[in-house]
Amino acid sequence: MIDAVAALGPAAPGTLAQVDAGTVVSVLVDGLSKAAIYVMIAAGLTLIFGLMGVLNFAHGSLTMLGAYAGGLVLVVAISSGSGALTRLAVFFAAVVAVFAALTAVGAALEVTLVRPLYDRPPLYQILLTFGLTLIFDEFARMVVEFYGLQPRSAWQEAVGTKPEFLAESNAYDVAGAPVVGLDLFEIVLGVVTVAAIWGFLTRTRYGLYIRAGSEDAEMAEALGINIRRAFTVVFGVGVGVAGAAGVLLAWDTAWGASVPLGAETLLPAFVVVIIGGLGTFRGTVLAALLVGMVDGLMTYVFNSGIVEFPGLPELTVFLTLVVMLIVRPQGLAGVEEVGGH
Amino acid sequence: MSATDDAATGAEDAPLLDIEDAQTYYGESHVLQGVSLSVDRGETVALVGRNGVGKTTTLRTALQLTPPRTGTVRVGGVDVTGDPTHEVATRGLGWIPEDRRMFEQLTVDENVRVAVTDTDAVDAKRELAYEAFPDLRELRDRKTGNLSGGQQQMVAIARGLVGDNDLLLVDEPSEGLAPQIVEAVAEALRTVAEDAAMLLVEQNFPLAMDLADRFYLMDGGKIVHEDTTEGVTSDDEMIRRYLGT
Repeated sequence: MIDAVAALGPAAPGTLAQVDAGTVVSVLVDGLSKAAIYVMIAAGLTLIFGLMGVLNFAHGSLTMLGAYAGGLVLVVAISSGSGALTRLAVFFAAVVAVFAALTAVGAALEVTLVRPLYDRPPLYQILLTFGLTLIFDEFARMVVEFYGLQPRSAWQEAVGTKPEFLAESNAYDVAGAPVVGLDLFEIVLGVVTVAAIWGFLTRTRYGLYIRAGSEDAEMAEALGINIRRAFTVVFGVGVGVAGAAGVLLAWDTAWGASVPLGAETLLPAFVVVIIGGLGTFRGTVLAALLVGMVDGLMTYVFNSGIVEFPGLPELTVFLTLVVMLIVRPQGLAGVEEVGGH
Repeated sequence: MSATDDAATGAEDAPLLDIEDAQTYYGESHVLQGVSLSVDRGETVALVGRNGVGKTTTLRTALQLTPPRTGTVRVGGVDVTGDPTHEVATRGLGWIPEDRRMFEQLTVDENVRVAVTDTDAVDAKRELAYEAFPDLRELRDRKTGNLSGGQQQMVAIARGLVGDNDLLLVDEPSEGLAPQIVEAVAEALRTVAEDAAMLLVEQNFPLAMDLADRFYLMDGGKIVHEDTTEGVTSDDEMIRRYLGT
């Protein structure tokens, strides 16, 4: 580590002079694309906790399953001769299919496994969902190894199904900064995801039920709202969003479909949810932006030749969490007590 | 609910709420020890007694929030014992709970809208609430967590009003409110009592007698006395004995 900190990069002539428009753009795009990923992997987690008070430790593994399922669709349907539009169309078809399939899986999990544990202490739900993670991960490992793939590293064949204009090797010049198409694509999908969930929560009657039930499930029930069904719907949709995010990650070289993807996404998702304030969607969006920008900025600082230590950006993500827990333990948008029944 | 609708519609003249020998527990704690009471269409019935005798539990038992271990709860003649609370609620039972139980992150308007059970008539019902409680119209976009206790109580009553309820279960509506606010709340309850029957738990005995037509007196998880409210005051020998006034 001392070496790393001491190693001033060879290309560091005048550190301040490097902060030009291009640098700002590239840090911004990098930070926003990371924020988009974070919000997509954390949204389902926060919805589920907000309404039901269940910490779903299987969330990351469900993203992993979504990545493999989506990757499978992409690899099967896209050939080397497929055009950019075909590839995009297949991608969106995969997102829809994976969202539907994992929503069904989530709803089934809620009805069969989570529901009997609502009246138990939270530890039961944590043990259950943690157990599910082990099962999903081992299941994925077995299947992946059976087909001769390396489970610990990203599924390159799926990563390679991206259209050329989104590829990492193909950067665009924006204000002098190299911007990768996939980063912009991720930002767009992040915005769409946030807008869709936001609209669902604030513009639909069912969203109103969910917001009311998140505060006081018993009172909502006494007003005639079938809160058990809302639990099933939200658990399903939350898992569906996690899976759909996985499809996008299957295209991203920095992530890619792999068995460890579950743990790799679960940790930052929890960080974002806690920084935002447990169970508040608005807080999760703000926290994803904060963490994404911190991550993006630190990636620049620690990889730009001023100081070289690629492990540090990730470290600062958790450092942000630590600072947040000390300064504002209820989170950015959290209230004193959320998710209690 | 739908499959049993025909068989379970109940008679038109059946009491709105009929609790028969309800024995209700919180864990091992035996709270209701055989409560029987009924409320008919159009009447306001008070449930009085000291703290901890089971008044709130009686309301929770009616709604199946805390279902009785033995005994029966009928709503409009239909046995609802053990049914999910939301189904009991849609049979016309409304709850205006102790501490008002606002959805504090939601606005006044959202609190009212969420309580409308007839989803085709949300706007009309909301308008009905604002006509009954004009003060709420100005507060409609405020989060209810930022309102005063009296304003929150109005929202709670408005929620009961818009839910197409035949019977409102009202728990300690005057608790913690200043005297002049209590008068406004009493007026609001009189307004909703024009359209719905009411089972009212109230510590303020004169207020309870003023609002109600009949009353049940509870002690030790049982109904110990029932009577009409006419001429009953807190000086009454039996009332003094059980309420400790």
